[in-house]
Amino acid sequence: MKKSTLALASAAIFGATPALGQASVDEKLQILQQEIDELKAQSRKSAGPAQQPSPYSLDYGSMLDRSSGLANGGTNIIGYGEMSYSKFRESGNATADLARFVFGFNHRFDERLTFHSEIEIEHAVVSKDDQGEAEVEQAWVNYKMSDAVNFKGGLFLIPLGILNETHEPPTYYGVQRNQVETRIIPTTWRELGVGVHGIVSEGLRYDMGVTTSFDSGKLDDPTTGMRSAHQEGQLANASNLAVYGALNYRRPGLLVGGGVFTGDTGQNGASNPALQGVAARFTIWDVHAEYRVAGLDLQALYTAGTLGDADKVTAALFAADPATAFAAPQSMKGWYAQAAYHVYKQGKLDVAPFIRYERIDIKQAEDPANGLLQDPNNNERIKTLGVNFWVHPQVVLKADIQRYATDKTQDAFRLGAGFMF
Amino acid sequence: MIRAARRALALSTLALAACGIAYAQVYQEPDAFIAEVLGSKPPPKVLWLTKDIQGQAAAILGHPPAQLRQRYWSEGGKSVWILEETGKEELITAGFVVVDGHIDHVRVLVYRESRGQEVRQTSFLKQFKDAKLAQSNRLDRDIDGIVGATLSVGAMERMARLALYFDRLSHDKARE
Repeated sequence: MKKSTLALASAAIFGATPALGQASVDEKLQILQQEIDELKAQSRKSAGPAQQPSPYSLDYGSMLDRSSGLANGGTNIIGYGEMSYSKFRESGNATADLARFVFGFNHRFDERLTFHSEIEIEHAVVSKDDQGEAEVEQAWVNYKMSDAVNFKGGLFLIPLGILNETHEPPTYYGVQRNQVETRIIPTTWRELGVGVHGIVSEGLRYDMGVTTSFDSGKLDDPTTGMRSAHQEGQLANASNLAVYGALNYRRPGLLVGGGVFTGDTGQNGASNPALQGVAARFTIWDVHAEYRVAGLDLQALYTAGTLGDADKVTAALFAADPATAFAAPQSMKGWYAQAAYHVYKQGKLDVAPFIRYERIDIKQAEDPANGLLQDPNNNERIKTLGVNFWVHPQVVLKADIQRYATDKTQDAFRLGAGFMF
Repeated sequence: MIRAARRALALSTLALAACGIAYAQVYQEPDAFIAEVLGSKPPPKVLWLTKDIQGQAAAILGHPPAQLRQRYWSEGGKSVWILEETGKEELITAGFVVVDGHIDHVRVLVYRESRGQEVRQTSFLKQFKDAKLAQSNRLDRDIDGIVGATLSVGAMERMARLALYFDRLSHDKARE
C-alpha cells in the first residue's frame, strides 16, 4: 500500500515536472501540494470506508502530531496541584504543605464514549503514620448522545455549588478553598451513581441523577456538618440512595445556578446498629451567582441543609462510643460574598486583589443529659483579604490574611501556589 | 420520595433523548463552513510555517504548532482559517473568517468534550467580531470568559490570534 502510494507520488511529481520547470518556488509548492492532496484522496478512495477521514483527523492544518487531543482510542493526562505556607497568628506556628497533587487520565473509546478520572494525593506522603491520603476523586464514563443528552456512570462530582466541579487552584480566589464550600458543601464531593446531563438551550445546563448517599453512622467530625459522613465510593453503604439535580445558566461573564441533593443516611444501621430503621434524611441545596464586568469579579453563594432524625443520630453516636460522641448536625446554612478586581492584566500576567466574607451556621441536635452540646465553632464568620497573581492563565501565586470571629486559632497569613494542565 | 424522583428522572431522560437524539458533536463540516462563508469552496492556499513563523505561532499558542503548513481559503479580501486547539482535554475545531485584518466571523465546528460547549454560544462568539491584533499579537480587547469553561475559552482566544496572525502573513506573502 505504502509502496504503491510512493510510486504514484513519484509518477505524479515527475509527470508534473514540465510545469514545475517554468514555475516560481511558490507555484511549484502549490502544484506539489495539489498533487499530494489528489494522491491522498485517491488513496482514501481505494482503501474503502475504514480509511475515510473521521471528524477526529481533520487534515486542514496537516497536523503531524495530534497526540495532544484525543483521537478515537486516545488517552491524555491532566493534572493540578497546590502548595501553601501558613503562619498562624495566635500560636505563632507555621506550616508548609503540598496540600494536594492530582493527576488524571482521560480516554476516548469512540466518538461518543469517553472515560474521565482524577487521582488525588493529599499532603504529599501517604502511609499509616502520616496524614496524607491517596484517593480516587473521579472515575466515570460518559456517553454523549448529543449536547443535550449525556449519560454518565461511575464516581463523579455532585454539581452543587461553584467549587465542587471546578476546583482547580487557578480558578478560585484565596490560598485555601472557601470554608462554606468545605464545611457545608463538602467539596470535593463525589458519589457513585448514574446521571444525565447536557445543555438544553443556549447556556442552560442541567444535571441530574441517582447516587450513593451519606452514612450518618460514619460521622466523626463535629465542625464540618455532614462532610465526615460522605462515603466517596469507599465500600459505600448503599441501602439508602440519593437523588440530585442542578440547573446552571452561563453566558460570557455570568453564571447563575443552583442544585439540590437529598437522600436517607441511616443506611439500615450498617455502620451503626442504633440507626437501623432510622431514615435520617439529609437534604442540601444551594443557589449561586458569578458576574464579571470591567475587571470586576463578583461571586456569591447561599447553601442550606437539614438532617432528619438528628436527635436519633446523636443518640446513635453516643451509643457507639460515649467518649468520642458529639451532637449530630441538625441544620446547616452558610453563605459568602466575594469581590475581586483585576488591577493589572498584561499578556499572561494578571493581578487581582480580592475580599471575601463568609458566614457558617451549623446547628447541632444537643443531648445535654449526656453532655453533647453545640460546638461554638459552628457559628463562624470569616473575613479573607488577599491577592491572586496569575503568572500564566494556568499557574497562580496567592497570598491572603484570614480572620475568624469565633475560632481565633485559625487566624492566619498564607502564601500559596497552584497550577493546572 | 426517592421512587418519585427516580420516575421523574427516567421520564425526563426519555423526553430529552427523544428531542436530542441527533448526534451533534460535529456542528458543521469545515467544507460546508468554507462554502457558506465564501459562496463556494475555492482551491486551498498554503502558508508554510518557516522557523520564524513557528516561533511566533508558538508564542501565541503557548506551545509549538503541530503543523508545518497551514491551509486556508480566500476570496475577495476574505480569508478562512480552520484551526484546532486543545481545550481541557480535547481538540476544538473552529472556523475563522478574517476581513481586512479583523475577525468577521467565528464558529465552533467540532466540539468533542462533554463540558464547556458554552463556547459555541453566539453571546460568546460575538465578542470576537471585529477583533484585530494589537501589540505582541494579542487581541485588541478582553474576551469575557465562561465560568467552568476557562480552558476552552483560552483555546478559542489563542486560535483567534493565530488566525489574525496567519491572515497578516498571507497578505505579506501576496505583496511579495
